[in-house]
Amino acid sequence: MVRRMLTGNAAAAWGARLAQVEYVPAFPITPQTEIIESLATWFADGTLSGKFVTMDSEHSMVTAAGAAAATGVRTFTATSSQGLVYAMEALYTVSGWRVPFVLVNVSRGLSSPITLGPDHNDVLAARDAGFIQIHVETCQEVLDSVLMAFRIAEDVRVSLPTLVNLDGFFLSFTREPVEIPDAKLVQEFLPAFHPQHPVFSGSQSLAQGVAVLDGATYSYFRYQMHRALENALEVHEEVAEAFSRLFGRRYRALEEYGMADAEIVLVMAGSFATKGKAAVNRWREQGRKVGLLRLRMLRPQPAADIARSLIGRKAVGVIDQNISPGLGGILYQEVSGALASAGERVPVMRSFIGGLGGKDISQGEFDWVLEALDGAKPSDGPVPCQLLFTDAEYEQVRMALSIAGKSQGGTAS
Amino acid sequence: MKVPREFYKGPKDIPHEEELSPGAPLCAGCGGLMTLRLMHKVLGENVVIVNAAGCMTLMATYPYSPIRSSWLYTTMGSVAAGAQGIRDALDIRRAKGKLSEQDEMKVLVLAGDGSTYDMGLSATSAAIHRRLDFWYLCYDNEAYGNTGFQMSSASPFASRTTTSPIGQQEPEGTFQEKKDMFELWRAQKPPYMATVSSHEVVDLAEKVKRSMAIKGPKLFLALAVCPTGWGFDPRMGDELAHLAVKTGIWPLKEAVDGVVRHTLIPSRFLPVEEYLRPQLRFRHLFEPAPHTEAMQAIQQKVDRYWEQVRKDEPAASPALNRGTSGT
Amino acid sequence: MRFHGRGGHGIKTASRIVGTAAFLAGYEVQDSPIYGAERRGAPVTAFTRIASSAILERGVITQPDLIICGDETLLESPASGVLNGVEQAAALFINTRNLEAIRAQGKLHVRMVALDITQRTSDRIGKASALSVGLGAAAARLSGLISCEQLGEGVRTELEELGLDAPMIEKNLLLAQEVYAELETVTVEPRKFSATAVIHKMGYDHVLLGTPSILAPGNAEARQTGAWRVERPEIDYDSCTRCGLCFVHCPDGAIALDEQGYPVIDYDHCKGCLICLEQCPRHSIRSKKEVRSW
Ligand SMILES: Cc1ncc(C[n+]2csc(CCOP(=O)(O)OP(=O)(O)O)c2C)c(N)n1
Ligand code: SF4
Ligand code: SF4
Ligand code: SF4
Ligand SMILES: [Mg+2]
Repeated sequence: MVRRMLTGNAAAAWGARLAQVEYVPAFPITPQTEIIESLATWFADGTLSGKFVTMDSEHSMVTAAGAAAATGVRTFTATSSQGLVYAMEALYTVSGWRVPFVLVNVSRGLSSPITLGPDHNDVLAARDAGFIQIHVETCQEVLDSVLMAFRIAEDVRVSLPTLVNLDGFFLSFTREPVEIPDAKLVQEFLPAFHPQHPVFSGSQSLAQGVAVLDGATYSYFRYQMHRALENALEVHEEVAEAFSRLFGRRYRALEEYGMADAEIVLVMAGSFATKGKAAVNRWREQGRKVGLLRLRMLRPQPAADIARSLIGRKAVGVIDQNISPGLGGILYQEVSGALASAGERVPVMRSFIGGLGGKDISQGEFDWVLEALDGAKPSDGPVPCQLLFTDAEYEQVRMALSIAGKSQGGTAS
Repeated sequence: MKVPREFYKGPKDIPHEEELSPGAPLCAGCGGLMTLRLMHKVLGENVVIVNAAGCMTLMATYPYSPIRSSWLYTTMGSVAAGAQGIRDALDIRRAKGKLSEQDEMKVLVLAGDGSTYDMGLSATSAAIHRRLDFWYLCYDNEAYGNTGFQMSSASPFASRTTTSPIGQQEPEGTFQEKKDMFELWRAQKPPYMATVSSHEVVDLAEKVKRSMAIKGPKLFLALAVCPTGWGFDPRMGDELAHLAVKTGIWPLKEAVDGVVRHTLIPSRFLPVEEYLRPQLRFRHLFEPAPHTEAMQAIQQKVDRYWEQVRKDEPAASPALNRGTSGT
Repeated sequence: MRFHGRGGHGIKTASRIVGTAAFLAGYEVQDSPIYGAERRGAPVTAFTRIASSAILERGVITQPDLIICGDETLLESPASGVLNGVEQAAALFINTRNLEAIRAQGKLHVRMVALDITQRTSDRIGKASALSVGLGAAAARLSGLISCEQLGEGVRTELEELGLDAPMIEKNLLLAQEVYAELETVTVEPRKFSATAVIHKMGYDHVLLGTPSILAPGNAEARQTGAWRVERPEIDYDSCTRCGLCFVHCPDGAIALDEQGYPVIDYDHCKGCLICLEQCPRHSIRSKKEVRSW
């Protein structure tokens, strides 16, 4: 075991390296490219044995990844943003084959307008694709989650591709001290891949991805996929337990921070949760009972745990780093859905949108959110989502608009 | 002119084993199925067919499959990438001693013209570029057949499809020229590529057999007669495939590392009309009044093609010198 | 009402002719075809619903009042679904000249009505396979909801939409009138539909089961595509030279060569495309209209 300064991208590559991946189909896209560059080097110098192949698109890349997994090799790949949505058809296709492999997505806002900063619209667009989704907060968690992801994906109760999501820039290009687990221990944790159903091979006739035109049979296979994803919750618990025994770090589907007696709760996902934790600490110092719930596992959704964690709180605010135009925050809907059948209600639920395209969420904005939650009453009536966006930022945008020749005409609100 | 036969003297020498079971729910008289059946016979067992969305996708419809080897349906645009994943994984397992000799497989892409000429072109070009060791069979029925016969970039000039109907603006229906897929592929100099016809069974079998000694991309472009889309009585299917060759519309050739030779040149070319007339999709060239201009354009294009062949392949000239019959 | 036939018979058009006629007669109407994996020659189903008030149902008809079967050979094939819900149907119409033979089998317990639509179609319009008008006319008549004039309007509208020329449409109108006149209305009793469903609690099945894969190589052999056949190729072994051309050219691999090199046709799977017949240099293959056991 060594501790080193690693970026999130390097941690992802190290995860794949320690997992002894055999096959990496790849395609470049910022801010993910460093992951595949590292892996290309390791295959070239013999650190990894197998094959690295530069594909022609993410659509091809995911197809090749799925096909290789269906042929029985441990496969890893990575993408981001436009690449993930370009691959969308292939994501649904390969998950239907029920093949395990790991896909790292480095979150980045979607075009148009094209941008480089992170938000979660890319990865959330893939939330129904039949992939397990793990959203991480730190560089250490990136590495650990890649290892755990392989073990979950390959478990016979699951047998599905798994996506590990890290935020562009805030993790991908940010170095932190990361403990690189001992390779021997990793082998103990994650033995070589032994496929749990037939793979392509001359002595076994296998037709895979067959058309199913009958509604009942189609329902059966789709629901089995749902069941497999549900199983991933239990499998994740076991895998997390095994991981902690070997490496000392214990992960859960939901991370509870300052939740013991919290009355006001922030719900967040990804690396911006770190900023939320700072806000919780500051408010705690003033004796205010606030906490944070981080959604680590998004698919399968740990609905019962979400309900258990939130029921009984006075106010819950979900900060979404995404926007579903015409709806608002996606995770707000997900959390509300998890609570809907729980019997009891959280009196105040509010939706906030922040961090789109990597825009910062400042501590001032967190304070504003917490005050808003503190002052909110159940009787406030339907409350639309609130964009976290300051006057100063608005001024700055207006300046840009005027430079873009838009000082004339049009009216602002 | 026929190039000398190396492996098969006549149709009876074609392997008798059927690699596909009967019972596929494809149209009676489907030329695509016929081509696949013949190619598969020569390739033998231990094939994994990687399929792009199209008519052939319905061969394997749950819970039945006519495929005695293996099958993977992918998407319309990434079928060659599916072949890449399988081939690479087989190689990796082989190198690590996890795949025995008898478990080794041949990877065969099965794609229609829509996938080949349009949506899947970049994925295929990339696989050729990567020198992927695989076979590619494009059964070209010259339109998006599975969705009801819409125009693809393989639809020939003056053919009617449901999205290039005959109208005042476009009296020819499809006014575009068919993409020259052979030349597009050839630009990348794959080690082996060929056009085939389901009628010229021995020519087809010879080509598949020759390709089997070659590593890398082995690309087959087959004119696949389609009674349903083209509009003719299924019993005429093979005769129509024959006419496509005899009129010179569908040249039979191969290219090794990009160097072309024609493998079968009719001793006398029939007028293109003979091929066009029996098909509903060309009916508007004959009725209500003959569309001579379009027909001449088609004939001239064919004539020009063969004139060029005469220049490029003098060896083939004896046959060609007898000349084309013209319109 | 539910229509059955094979691809190319005009089953969808038959359902539409009745649909349009009923619509013109002022009813609430729904019609729809169902597409499967199969291509030309394979079984096809279409539906028409007619009501005097809003139709609060969609999709497949499992309990039809009338079943219109355009091809008697489908009665043998459970997969075609012709007999689904037949017990409660008011009538089963069969396009056949063999009604007595079908009755004699004693398998069907439903009121059966028959007429040789194929023959009448062939006589009137010279094309035996275009059954849409004849079947549509039969359905219209049996239903008792549509007058002969309304049926004519339905036929005209649908055939014009398909681009048929005026003389052809006139011939079809005469055919429709002829079929209409030859049949009688059946009484359709209003029925109570009982709907009980036992909901299955589905657990997780092993991934081997839960994946849409097939591990039985070539099991499509169990699909008897021979039932698609309208014409049957038959080999005259006296003149056959064992050249093997028919064997190589059969798209479906339905011809095998026996030990002496003679071709043998697998009638369970031969789809009747007749490519073999056309290819045989000796004209040793003849075709016969298919007659089945009914
Ligand atoms: C991304 C995508 N777009 C559209 C389709 C619909 N589609 C299915 S098959 C098909 C036609 C394919 O044409 P071709 O490749 O020529 O094969 P054919 O149907 O003629 O056999 C189309 C357009 C699809 N499956 N996927
Ligand atoms: S439509 Fe054409 S290509 Fe498709 S199955 Fe029918 S004959 Fe074959
Ligand atoms: S008619 Fe002949 S060629 Fe066609 S399926 Fe039957 S045996 Fe084969
Ligand atoms: S094609 Fe004719 S002559 Fe040749 S084997 Fe078949 S039946 Fe015999
Ligand atoms: Mg096509």
